[in-house]
Amino acid sequence: MSFKNKNPRDVEADLVLSDGPQLTRGEKFRRGLRAQSGWLFVAPALILMAVFTFYPIIMAFIHAFQEDYNGANGTYSGWGFSNFVHVVKGDLNRGGADFLQCLVNTLIFTFISVPVSTLLALLISVALNSIKAVQKAYQTILFLPYLTNALAMGAVFATFFTVVGTKSHTETVGIVNLVLGLKDNPINWTDVLSSPKWELGRITIPWANYIVLMVYEVWSGLPFKILILFSALQSINKQYYDAAKVDGASRWTTLWHITAPMVSPQISYLLVTGIMGGMKQYSAVVGIFGEKMGLRYEMGTMVGYIYNYIGEDKYAGLAFAGSLILFVIIMIITWINNKVTKKRTTYR
Amino acid sequence: MRISIQHLTKIFPSRTKGGAAVHAVEDMNIEIPSGKLVGLLGPSGCGKSTTLFMLSGLESPSSGQIVFDDQDVTTLAAEKRGIGLVFQNYALYPHMTVRENIRFPLDNMRIKREEGNARALDAARLVQIEDLLDRKPNELSGGQQQRVAIARALVKMPNVLLLDEPLSNLDARLRLQTREEIKRIQRETGITTVFVTHDQEEAMSICDIMVVMKLGVVQQIGEPQHIYDDPNNLFVANFLGTPPINIFKGRIEGGKVYIGDEAVSSTEFADQPVYVGIRPEGYIYDPKGVFTLDVDHIEVMGRDKSVVAIHQSSTKPTVRCIIDSDVALPEGATQLRFNIKPYKMFLFNAESEVRLRVGEEQPVEEDVAVVEEQPTTDQRG
Repeated sequence: MSFKNKNPRDVEADLVLSDGPQLTRGEKFRRGLRAQSGWLFVAPALILMAVFTFYPIIMAFIHAFQEDYNGANGTYSGWGFSNFVHVVKGDLNRGGADFLQCLVNTLIFTFISVPVSTLLALLISVALNSIKAVQKAYQTILFLPYLTNALAMGAVFATFFTVVGTKSHTETVGIVNLVLGLKDNPINWTDVLSSPKWELGRITIPWANYIVLMVYEVWSGLPFKILILFSALQSINKQYYDAAKVDGASRWTTLWHITAPMVSPQISYLLVTGIMGGMKQYSAVVGIFGEKMGLRYEMGTMVGYIYNYIGEDKYAGLAFAGSLILFVIIMIITWINNKVTKKRTTYR
Repeated sequence: MRISIQHLTKIFPSRTKGGAAVHAVEDMNIEIPSGKLVGLLGPSGCGKSTTLFMLSGLESPSSGQIVFDDQDVTTLAAEKRGIGLVFQNYALYPHMTVRENIRFPLDNMRIKREEGNARALDAARLVQIEDLLDRKPNELSGGQQQRVAIARALVKMPNVLLLDEPLSNLDARLRLQTREEIKRIQRETGITTVFVTHDQEEAMSICDIMVVMKLGVVQQIGEPQHIYDDPNNLFVANFLGTPPINIFKGRIEGGKVYIGDEAVSSTEFADQPVYVGIRPEGYIYDPKGVFTLDVDHIEVMGRDKSVVAIHQSSTKPTVRCIIDSDVALPEGATQLRFNIKPYKMFLFNAESEVRLRVGEEQPVEEDVAVVEEQPTTDQRG
């Protein structure tokens, strides 16, 4: 409200008016509108999120509980938990993905590759932090994988590990077999059929394939983790290291009792986000093992399972139920993560 | 542990290309007897902390030797020297409790947990923090953190205790209290202790031996009172004492010391331009005195009073004379006359700023030579 060009008595009148009940209807409306104007500013984001996030989440919830939901025409026969029962039992998988297999795969991939790559990233960051010359060059090299496409990296990995040709006539055995000295009797690391495996009832563990995927996971997870840890290391006061030196701490003690605790907030951040990302693994597996994640999802992941069924109109309900289960699992793991890391990183 | 520092020099290479290297410490020679509390004193950038870090082994000297008792430790690693070091910012490990912080050096020596805890408790008792053992450093006040840092340095029973500006992060009251505390701990343990400070009052109050440094060069070594009463040069005279010494431009002419037109004292030195330093407590009020000052104002402090005066030959804006509060001064006087206590007045050559001393032939030339070629004080004591 502008007091400009008004005589003092009018200003006084305005002030009396704005005191409360004497407001005109127009004024009231304008003020009400003004109070709500914040919505205008968040509207673009809100609309996009409503369309692409909230609506799908709600629909997934609804479809998960619809029996015999048909993705093609949207019909269903009733409400219940039968989708979840089918998911867990795996009785509808007709040569497609098995939920239990995908769940076990995802958990193993995640809980091995994330801690290993975080630990490696810590060691590399410490090493990087302790060199002075060509530090920048190393930093760049280590960060490059972060900028590379996952499918392209998967394809490169496949050539490292894949044996091309037939048993009687091999074209190439791949660089890994050469390095390991398996030239004459190569393991076809990326081939699910010929991979050595362990059979555990419903679940198959093709461990040679597992190794390939986890090497890839560790390697591709390094750049971001190194970036975070390296910058955290550089902000540690050098005096702690001087103190540790005077106190007679060995390098090992310094690393585990000084450095690691100092960057523990960053470590826990990397573990939490790494595990969340690992649970949603999809593209790398497809990049290395093909669209079917093996012959029939032996290397399948949870997201792979969901993607497999979302396209099948008759069984789309399985995908929705599966995604809800994944959601709950991630929530539980994150909750445990928070509990553990809060205890471990109390000093900040 | 006896400490002997011989020709110790530290040169930091220039950060910029073609820039001059920094001589942080130059040809330092000090003998520290066992069980003494030694203060390295000087303004910022005088090399006192660098000296301390060379003693600790965290910095390696460019040349020279450091000898503990009879062992040359110049190239010995920090952890093998048996020293305890207290950092300026304490450097307590934030994720460890006080007990774990104190025990950390013992853990590294592979001492058993129970014994480590017992010794940590002993060290904590010595600095009176035994109630705080289960706290984390960020739950402690500055003074408490300081004590933890001292306990951590003492727990391994070091031969030498080194403290880097131990009081600079404390507030004024705590500083007074803590410096007494450091003195007490040093007496109780009998550990040879070296500490760094830029605060002359702090150094004067607790040191057995004081080392005054300037731009990497030792200016004077000795007992605090001795250095105060018998400074080697203008810098040392100026640096010690609160309020600081009054410095006048003067000259020696025919066996008399002149400030302005007044002959304030007789002398046996040759004619030359000089700086005349007079301690604030060196003035005696006398209506027939030899030295006249224009009074600016008088500050009454209770125990004594300060005459704040102006003199055209003074190198500072004001001159301060401290006299007993029972000396009656004339009301509203604009000029006062004083006599000067001879032992509170020092003469310095105007060029070299070196003290003129009785019994030294040609003191000017000789002292200039000493400063340029061998800038240590060992010959002059």
